[in-house]
Amino acid sequence: MTDKFNRYLFKYAYGVLLRSLSKNLFIFITLTLLVALLSATLFLSSAIKNEYTARVSHQADIIITNQKAMQYRTFDRSQLQSVLSIVGVKSAMGRLYGAYYFDKADKKLNIIALDEFESYSNKLLDETNTELEEASMILSTQAKNLLEEYYYKEYFNFIKENGTLRKVPIQGVLKSKDIQKRENLIIMRSELFRDIFDMDEREISDISVKVANSDELAFIAQKIEELFPSAKVTIKKDLLVRYEKSYNLKSGFFLSIFIISFFTFFIIIYDKLSGVSSHERHEIGVLKALGWRVGDVLEAKFYEGLLLSLGAYILGVFLAFLYVYFFNAAILLDIFLSQSDILHHVTLSFTPNIASMILIFLLSVPPYIFATIIPSWRVATTDADEVMR
Amino acid sequence: MTFIKLLFTLSLTVQLFASSEISNAIKEKQIYPMGKKIHTSRCPSLDISHFKTYEALLNAIQEKHICSDLNVKHSKALSIYLWDNKGEKQLKELPKITITKDEKCQVCGMYLHYYPTWVSQINYPKGETYKFDGIKDMMKFYFNNKEGIVDIFVQDYYSLKTLNAHDAYYVLGSDVLGPMGNELIAFKDKKSAKVFFFDHRGKKLLSFDELTAPMVHNLDR
Repeated sequence: MTDKFNRYLFKYAYGVLLRSLSKNLFIFITLTLLVALLSATLFLSSAIKNEYTARVSHQADIIITNQKAMQYRTFDRSQLQSVLSIVGVKSAMGRLYGAYYFDKADKKLNIIALDEFESYSNKLLDETNTELEEASMILSTQAKNLLEEYYYKEYFNFIKENGTLRKVPIQGVLKSKDIQKRENLIIMRSELFRDIFDMDEREISDISVKVANSDELAFIAQKIEELFPSAKVTIKKDLLVRYEKSYNLKSGFFLSIFIISFFTFFIIIYDKLSGVSSHERHEIGVLKALGWRVGDVLEAKFYEGLLLSLGAYILGVFLAFLYVYFFNAAILLDIFLSQSDILHHVTLSFTPNIASMILIFLLSVPPYIFATIIPSWRVATTDADEVMR
Repeated sequence: MTFIKLLFTLSLTVQLFASSEISNAIKEKQIYPMGKKIHTSRCPSLDISHFKTYEALLNAIQEKHICSDLNVKHSKALSIYLWDNKGEKQLKELPKITITKDEKCQVCGMYLHYYPTWVSQINYPKGETYKFDGIKDMMKFYFNNKEGIVDIFVQDYYSLKTLNAHDAYYVLGSDVLGPMGNELIAFKDKKSAKVFFFDHRGKKLLSFDELTAPMVHNLDR
């Protein structure tokens, strides 16, 4: 091309695009949608991945759950102490949580019990903990709305195992946004929890373990497995692997869609490459007869291709951006996340993925530009007289 | 035979007696952090110097509520924490060995920030510090430049806390490999070193003074 930007050639290219408006508009829309779909999925997948790793990073290194005949059961405090005695365990905590079946609404109320002086791996729970009064509870907004539907505005009556009621005042609503997302969540002190569910002082729901040196993690997990042969020992890394397994299946499904849509796109390009219409041949012939050099014709064609494909690319990325971050990826998200997924209530946070943006750019813009330039170049290099004939 | 039996019964009674006490590991990992939290949040100014026995302290906390209203578990945690840390000053922990992105091992030249858990350090009087990507490389350096060293710091394998190299115990020839292959691995006490020795098939368990240059160089073979 020439070293200077030629405004007149650009104007001419713009004019050419407008002349066969319906055809170019069709290509533009197809390209835009293709780019939008692709980048939406890429935005979405990186956002979900980020969210998941962020959540998993809050988790303890090892979580031990007790089971009998594949039913969850509680641990005894002495078992926590035997975990603590393992050399290499930095800290271990007996966690206490469960769910209360609210039969009028046919809903589960998830309850996390906190001990005032235990330090939690989750910073958000720690903050809630310092504010929590004895013998009252803090609700997530969802849980609060649910209870309000049944006119429980200031307190809630838990029905205990022996049929008596335990009236628990509602202290307030959870402030932190992150933990809000957990469905129907209630936070209360462990003494209250034990009273409602008739659990004794020694029972704990599961054990979360922190290990200082991650090189030793697998070995310590193995030791714990030997200690409790029937318990389920989950390492933090396993959670990520489990997620990747289910997620990769879905991304594979999407990959096949991409391949199909890209083939469609390349068919459009092939169609353009294989033949310049006789009308366009004439046009190039006339331009050459008027005294345009080959370079000028190619520059005009370059602008034509650039205008259309870059426009489509930018619009496509913008649409994807709007769709994912402002409309929270309405339908795509449901395909990626199942009902049971821990990320079910998720707000996608902006995670720019430069590499994939460049990939989409390289897959869409340069092929289209070449597809416009190469056939024109073939025509432009032949003699004007021959072309016109 | 009777003597052996006697010895056996004796060791059994000692063990039984020991198990009735709360083990050190549980104290360190669970009770002290909880006690400390209670102490700082509820009664930071509590003076325990006039209590003669642990039972008296526990009784005062439980019955007389000298530190607000606590349940049994919490008052036990607080009194154990206060009693065990009474008089003696809290052992000051050595600061963690810090590494920047462009620091390299003095011996092999590998970047340190990829292997933060393996880094060790030698200090000289004029503020000169040398860092290494493993105790093996540090020892190679140490045997050649022994004069005038002020401090040698290594990291405890299990807790990753900084240790004075002279107080640590080392396991050689285990199946845990560092960035430079076979390593010397440091432990804060003989007990945890022994656990590691049996878990990871160590070949030797030595203190700092027992280490020799040929031993260290043999690790590379």
